Parts: sequence; C-alpha cells; structure tokens
Amino acid sequence: MAALFRRDLAVARSYRAAFFLELFETLFAAAGFYFLSRFIESPQLERALPQGTTYFSFALVGLAFFDYLSVALRAFDEGLRDARQNGTLEHLLVTQTSLPVILAGSILYPFVLLSLRTAIYLGWGAALFGFPLGGANWLGAFLVLAASILAFSGLGVLSASYLLVFKRGSPMNWALVGISSVVSGMMYPVSVLPVWLQRVARLVPVTYALEGMRSALLGHAGLRDLWPSLAALLIFAAILLPFSFVTFSWALRRTKITGTLTHF
Amino acid sequence: MGKVAVSVENLEKYFSPVTSGWRALLQPMAKPTVPALRGVSLDVKPGEVLALVGANGAGKSTLLRILTTLLLPTRGRAEVCGFDVAREPARVRRQLGYHTGADACLYARLSGRENLELFAGLNNMSRTDTLLRIAELTGLLGLKALLDRQVRTLSTGNIHRLGLARALLHKPSVLILDEPTRSLDPLAAAEFRRFLLQRIIAELGATVLFASHTLAEVEQLAGRIAVLDKGRLLICGTLSGVKAAAGEETLESSLEVLAGRPADHTS
Repeated sequence: MAALFRRDLAVARSYRAAFFLELFETLFAAAGFYFLSRFIESPQLERALPQGTTYFSFALVGLAFFDYLSVALRAFDEGLRDARQNGTLEHLLVTQTSLPVILAGSILYPFVLLSLRTAIYLGWGAALFGFPLGGANWLGAFLVLAASILAFSGLGVLSASYLLVFKRGSPMNWALVGISSVVSGMMYPVSVLPVWLQRVARLVPVTYALEGMRSALLGHAGLRDLWPSLAALLIFAAILLPFSFVTFSWALRRTKITGTLTHF
Repeated sequence: MGKVAVSVENLEKYFSPVTSGWRALLQPMAKPTVPALRGVSLDVKPGEVLALVGANGAGKSTLLRILTTLLLPTRGRAEVCGFDVAREPARVRRQLGYHTGADACLYARLSGRENLELFAGLNNMSRTDTLLRIAELTGLLGLKALLDRQVRTLSTGNIHRLGLARALLHKPSVLILDEPTRSLDPLAAAEFRRFLLQRIIAELGATVLFASHTLAEVEQLAGRIAVLDKGRLLICGTLSGVKAAAGEETLESSLEVLAGRPADHTS
C-alpha cells in the first residue's frame, strides 16, 4: 500500500504546476461560492438550516465532502484504467500483491489528496469568508469521515467490478453520483425535498455522511448526537464491503476465464 | 526447486467467441468454445531455456499467461516450481519474473529507481534488500547511470533492460519473457539478447521460458524449442532434434514442414 502511495505521489509531483494549481483552485471555488451564497435568501431555507449556520457554511461542507463519494467511485476505475493504459497492469498482477490490495493502495493517494484539498477548502472559507471552525467536533468529524470512506469504498469496489467485466465506465457511477447530488442534501437541506425524495435520500449513504459532517463541524454535536449518522454509515459499510468483495472476486475470476483481464 | 521448474499437463484453454452488437453485452457470460490451447504437455527443467515458437494465434502467449496466473486454464494442469497456477496463484507468482516486449511496460513519469522500488515493494522486499538488489542488477545490466532519469527519457532498449531488472528483482526461480525484443530495433534486439545470454542465463543460471517470432533469437538463446500450432504442441526438443524430426536444415523450413505447410527452398 505504501509503495503504491509513493508511486502516485511521485507521478503527481512530476506534474508540479498542476499539483499546486489544483490546490489554488479551491480558493477560487470557495470565493465564487461565497459571493453566490450572499444572493440566496429564502425563509424556508433559513428555517431548515441548523441554528446559527449560514448557507455558505452549509453548502461548503456539502460540496467539500460530496467529493469523497465521487473519488471513491472514480479512484478504483482510474487506478485500473491507468494501469491498463500505461501497460503496467500485467506486471502489477504478476507481483506478490493481490489485485484487491493493489486497488486499495491505488485509492489511498486520491483520498489523502482530497482530504488535503478539503482542509484547504475549509481553511480558505474560515480565513476569508467567515466559515465557523471554532467549536467543531474534530474527533466526530474524523469518525464520520472514516465511516463514510468505508461505505463509499464498497460502492467503489462494485464499480471496479463492473469495469473489470464490461471495460467501460460504470453506469452505476453516474446513477449514484446523479441521484446522490439531488437527494443527499449537498446544496440544500433534505427537508426541502418532496416527501418521496426524502425517502430516497435515506437509501443513499452520502445523506448520512453530510448530515454527520455538518453536525460535527457546524452543529458542534457530541459523539452521542453523531451516533445515528455513524451507525447508518457503518451499516452501509457492513453490507456493501463484503458484497462488493464477493462481486469483485467473481469479476476477477470471470476475466481470468474470458482472457479479458488486461483488455480495455 | 525440484526436478522440474515448469510442468504443463494436458493443458486446454478455450475463449468465448467474439460477438458484436447487442450480443457483445453478454460476451463476459458467453460459453468458451474457441480453442487456444489443446492438450499441451511439456516440462522445463531448472536452469533450462525453452523457447515457444509458432505463428500468431498458436497459443504461445496464452500458455505464458496461464503460467503467470493472468489466465485460468479451462482444463488440465500447470505448475511452477510445484505450485498449481489455478489453486496456488500467490505462491506461483513468488517464483516468477515476467517481462513482455510491449512498448509501454513501466511508469513513464517515474524514474527507473522509483519503478524498481515500487515493484520491489509489491514483491514484499525489505528496504535493505531492495537497495542492494537494485545496485546489483543495475550494475549487471549497465543501468546505473540511467537509474534516476524518468523512464520516458530512456531509449526503448534501456526501458527493456529496466523491465528485465524489474523481472529479476525478487530473485525469481523462473523468468518468463513474452516476445522480449518485439519493439526493439535489430541492433538493440541483438544487444538485449547478448545481455540475456551472458548476464542472465550464463551468470545467473536462470530458468527461462520465452516466446518469440525471431528465429535467430530462438537459435541463439534456447536449449530446447516447443513448436505450437493452432493450440497444439507439435514437438518439443533441441534445435537439432526439431530439424531432424522435420527433415530440414533450417529452423524456418522445419517449422513450415511441422505446421503442414510445404517448405520454401527457393531462397
């Protein structure tokens, strides 16, 4: 895992300008979003937000942490696709490290980079636009993040299984990202949705991740208050991870039978 | 290692027929009916160099991919150093070094050293062993001066030498090479063969199983030759044995005769 992390860091460092520009991009995104949020006024929205929370803070957390789902879904796909395209997949598969570990190692760097990016996002928000970092429950935020990554990784492994067998980007990815972006409360509270969409939101792990993260960072909630979100995320992880590993093992065996393991 | 480094017994591999249109969606589930290997049996002894030859589609790469655990056989058995490729793939991989002649086989934006360190890590080598082995192999293969350059700046010949160093990092018992000089120009290919022969085969005494379309390479490197045609093993023997069996003087005409095509003696 460490070897794969060092590989991805070294590849990223070889594109030095892009590496640093990407971090600055968060500043422009946060600034643009701050000024946009100043025009959004709705009594319904204000009532739905946690007390003392501005729409900017609410949506900044939503935007920053929604990306964990996107990265979980994309990173496995990209890890496989990169290895296929640069001709190293066969050589990786002939090493003593199994493919599941290689894939797990391949998502380590994207998650670390995203966490750095998220921290900078929130840092810009706090330093320049009044994002309230004081009083945040950091331990709680960390636990919600860890549980979210476990749950999202299950979805990522399912997506990688699809990619192994069918070779093209998983339709599950856009369905999940699309549905989640509408119902999970990324940009607005779930309570503003029609009742039937609120029910759909309860079936999507990102909803619980964003609720937990906002409670920890903005609502200063203790671990007891965070427990419902944490428990939901852990249940998703407990179901998705074993199911996704079984599916991945089947997909891997299938591609070794069909001879399409290294095709793209 | 026992008496046999690689053992293949009645090995068969069938692929699914290629489909198009909406049927392509069901391709991954299709029944494998197209034969790629049909009842192939052969052994490779420790320290031996065996060449697989045959036309495109003969089954050479399929056989090598089964041995490297990238493919599962349909029927039959294949073992590397006594470990079954289907039942003990992790143990098989511990015994193997693998290199192909494909243009791209390393991370182009990493240096040679970073590439070697990555694969050493994936082969569970300690940091100390990795540093010692990289120094040893890069000295052996004449790569020391190039080690800290990005791979994309190296010549194809040097990239393949680096690929060979990667294959040898964890001191494998068996080296498997799939058309190792495929993308090299004639001079670079000759130099690569010289390295393989003098440094890897003669000095290290490696067991090598390689596939090649270059008959000069086969004659120069191999102790024995296995001739495959349409998935069947036609013959496996020494160069002189293969020529004698075909009743021909050259390897090229022997292969033509063995494959059932009349040899062309006009040139």
